[in-house]
Amino acid sequence: MAEELVFIPGRWDITYNYAAGKVSSKFFAELRDNKRLMGIKCSRCGRVMMPPRGFCERCFAPAGEWVEVGPEGTIQAFTITVEKFEGNPDPPFAVAYVQLDGADTAMLNYVRGLDFSDLNRAAESLRVGTRVRVVYKEQRAGEVTDFEYELV
Amino acid sequence: MPRNVAIVGTGQTKYTTARNEETYEELIHQAARIALEDAELTLKDIDAVVISQAPEALFGIDHPERWVVGAAGAIGKPVMRVHTGGATGGSAAQAGFFHVASGLFDTVLVVGAEKQGDTPDAQLVLNRIMEPRYELPFGLNAISMTSFQAVRHMHKYGTTQEQLALVAVRSRRNALNNPYAHIRANHTVADVMKSRMLCWPLKLLDCPPRSSGSCAIVMASEERAKGMGKPVAWVRGVGATSTTYYMGDKLSGLPFNEHGDWDELALAAQHAYKQAGITKPGDEIHVAEIYAPFTICEVAAKEALGFCEKGQACPLEEKGWWDIDGHLPTNPSGGALASNPIAVTGLARVAEAALQVMGKAGQRQVDGAGTAVATAIGGTLQFHTVMVVSNRL
Amino acid sequence: MTRRVAIVGIAQTRLETEKPDQILDEVIFEAASKALADAGIGREEVDSITIAAADQIDGRPISSMLEACPAGAYLKDEIKTTEEGSYAAILASLRIMSGVFDSALVVSWSKCSEVPVTRVSNYGAEPFFHRPFGLNYITTTGFMVNAYRAKYGLPEMAAAKVVVKNRGNALNNPLACYQTPVSTEEVLSSRIVAWPVRAMDMAPLCDGACALVLASEERARGMVQPPVWIQGMGWATETYYLGERDLSRLTSLEVAARRAYAMAGVTNPLRELDVAEIHDIADYHELMAYEALGLCPWGQAARLMEEGVTEMGGRLPVNPSGGALSGSPFFATGLVRLAEAALQVRGDAGRRQVKGAKRALAHGSYGFCGQGNSVFILGE
Ligand SMILES: [Zn+2]
Repeated sequence: MAEELVFIPGRWDITYNYAAGKVSSKFFAELRDNKRLMGIKCSRCGRVMMPPRGFCERCFAPAGEWVEVGPEGTIQAFTITVEKFEGNPDPPFAVAYVQLDGADTAMLNYVRGLDFSDLNRAAESLRVGTRVRVVYKEQRAGEVTDFEYELV
Repeated sequence: MPRNVAIVGTGQTKYTTARNEETYEELIHQAARIALEDAELTLKDIDAVVISQAPEALFGIDHPERWVVGAAGAIGKPVMRVHTGGATGGSAAQAGFFHVASGLFDTVLVVGAEKQGDTPDAQLVLNRIMEPRYELPFGLNAISMTSFQAVRHMHKYGTTQEQLALVAVRSRRNALNNPYAHIRANHTVADVMKSRMLCWPLKLLDCPPRSSGSCAIVMASEERAKGMGKPVAWVRGVGATSTTYYMGDKLSGLPFNEHGDWDELALAAQHAYKQAGITKPGDEIHVAEIYAPFTICEVAAKEALGFCEKGQACPLEEKGWWDIDGHLPTNPSGGALASNPIAVTGLARVAEAALQVMGKAGQRQVDGAGTAVATAIGGTLQFHTVMVVSNRL
Repeated sequence: MTRRVAIVGIAQTRLETEKPDQILDEVIFEAASKALADAGIGREEVDSITIAAADQIDGRPISSMLEACPAGAYLKDEIKTTEEGSYAAILASLRIMSGVFDSALVVSWSKCSEVPVTRVSNYGAEPFFHRPFGLNYITTTGFMVNAYRAKYGLPEMAAAKVVVKNRGNALNNPLACYQTPVSTEEVLSSRIVAWPVRAMDMAPLCDGACALVLASEERARGMVQPPVWIQGMGWATETYYLGERDLSRLTSLEVAARRAYAMAGVTNPLRELDVAEIHDIADYHELMAYEALGLCPWGQAARLMEEGVTEMGGRLPVNPSGGALSGSPFFATGLVRLAEAALQVRGDAGRRQVKGAKRALAHGSYGFCGQGNSVFILGE
């Protein structure tokens, strides 16, 4: 007789309220209210961090002045997700790290308006070095998904 | 100078998708017992225990190390869990090393288990590891973040998908010789190329299986190890480097700022090599167990470990350089592409490297393996560990 | 002989009920920066980083991905333990004692305002035999207190006095979360949360981070702060299964203390120690710790408390900082105890300084009913 194996269903349900802090709160407000993308400069090495953070972990120094970046930039890395994963948007979708003009680091977002019928061709259109521009959504909630990238 | 430390026993259990016949606690106990038997020691001989446990969200028990104290034989003993994401097993082995090297303990058990078979989609957990303000909404997971690495490597060195496929083919072929391995198969490049795309350019067979299973090692001081009268694996060097979470901060192509290269791993290796007295890693290391869950990871790792020039890992692969009978065999066990029990994938690399230099690797034994290196990676490919083991001091 | 390790930099953030103006990374960065400043060195002069963090408290499955670099880890050798804060100091010490490293930045934190800690704690109960019964770190304290009180007939007043003592001490600690005195009446009339544990018996959770700089003997020489030596260190864990434990005593703390005392050469702790910082998850933990630490015979903690031995001005003041009962940054609380003990030995504890303190004990604890415990002995 086969021994029975029991499975106990479980689900973790933990609510978090991540405080975005002063720096990110300003970034999100600028994005929502003024359709501007603001980077922040390290007070020591001067690199413009995008997305902005309160300090530079390399210099171990606080962030300094705000700098507007974009509205165009260059793809530095990308992928096209084809598989459906639990909790993810429905595939296919493309995301890219884009170094916005005036920033020293690259920021992640969706790339919209692509034709995924031929995956390799879609990937070719996103190759490293490709120029993109920022597109703001009509309805903005003060979240990172208030904007997207599209090919120039 | 640190006190000399040896690996004197290893224990692994079969890696497979779901280990439904054992609880997490029982998996821990199995590996611990096998390692102790291999070391010819009993629980009484163990002074302290290190638990190797990566994200517990993969099986849904918060701080599982507290549950398994008895299973690990640690009641009343000093216990400490180490968790550095994917690099956990490598970090746990190093923590075990530090326990003994400190002089406070003579014999330490390092043990861990993975039970990601208990969640239907590990990638949900591996999405929630992302930064909540800026990166959580973009459907990133372990596969897509590694795709960025592949894209960068292809961009910089002209690496092709077919070349990456060769890594998968060799790894799973090697796994045919490893009774613990999860995926053991004679795949062809064509098989890999026609497997379904998950996150471009990584396809199903470029990726690891989701594995459950357990692994343990026993570490001992020089005095204890020498008294055992059997082959042991001496820890000759340890190194670890962490870098930024922010992948977007390292896409400039400059040193330590390139997601496609692993300069951080190179730095960790330099520390370990220096301790081990290794100056020509490509010649002085006889076998490598590299934590490479995705094909691209092994390519970047070999270049960072100094086994070849940057951009040369794939051309050398085509010549059989990394095959089990090649110049520098990598992952004779099949590596993480054959079995990826995340909590202990790094520990299994250490155990496999130790087995090689002890001459106990069975069918996957590399001839003349005197010195071996084991690595692990974690986070957004941001945590790196390196351990050099040798059959002599 | 093993290498000696010293604490040469000490910092905490202010403990607060919430810190909405700082993200977690910034709270950690603040503590790490201040510890480096206290040690008079830059990040580049530290050769290892050791952190202690709890993923589900931080709200992500691998919290060190985001928090390692705020703790100073960029291009450094960094490692993370998931035992409570003081274990980061243990692991960092082992790394220095091994001879591989000469210095370490040790950091731990919690931002309890962002997470339902008791729910997370319930997920720490395994799902087969424990989780369905509402166990968490507070409700399990009920088991412990019942067992302890049943065995020794301890009056509730004894525990309430611990709260009064610690909250009174916190008036001298500008970093404490709660700097207001309470009365025994207030404690004894606070609501019961898990019989017989009352709300005010438990340490109130808060936000904060703590960081230390450790150094080898050679490295400690010539640094700006006088070294506080780690003379002894012990840690141990009991079985998880509450049904197999004697819940009337903190057995693993007794084992940990024995190890730390042996290493430090302490034979009569009440006489040889000048001050102790005890992890008072609940007031009862502090009383039970007196016994496990050998400050009094089993069952005599209430008397020790009654005689004022552990008050400021007593023979062995306990928790001059106010302890966790004056605000607990959950996972970092044990490291805060170690930082406070180190400040005492250094003579830098300000208004909460125990005069002439030369030798201090620090205690960290985690798990249901104090399953795991650590003990440090610090000295000049
Ligand atoms: Zn900077």
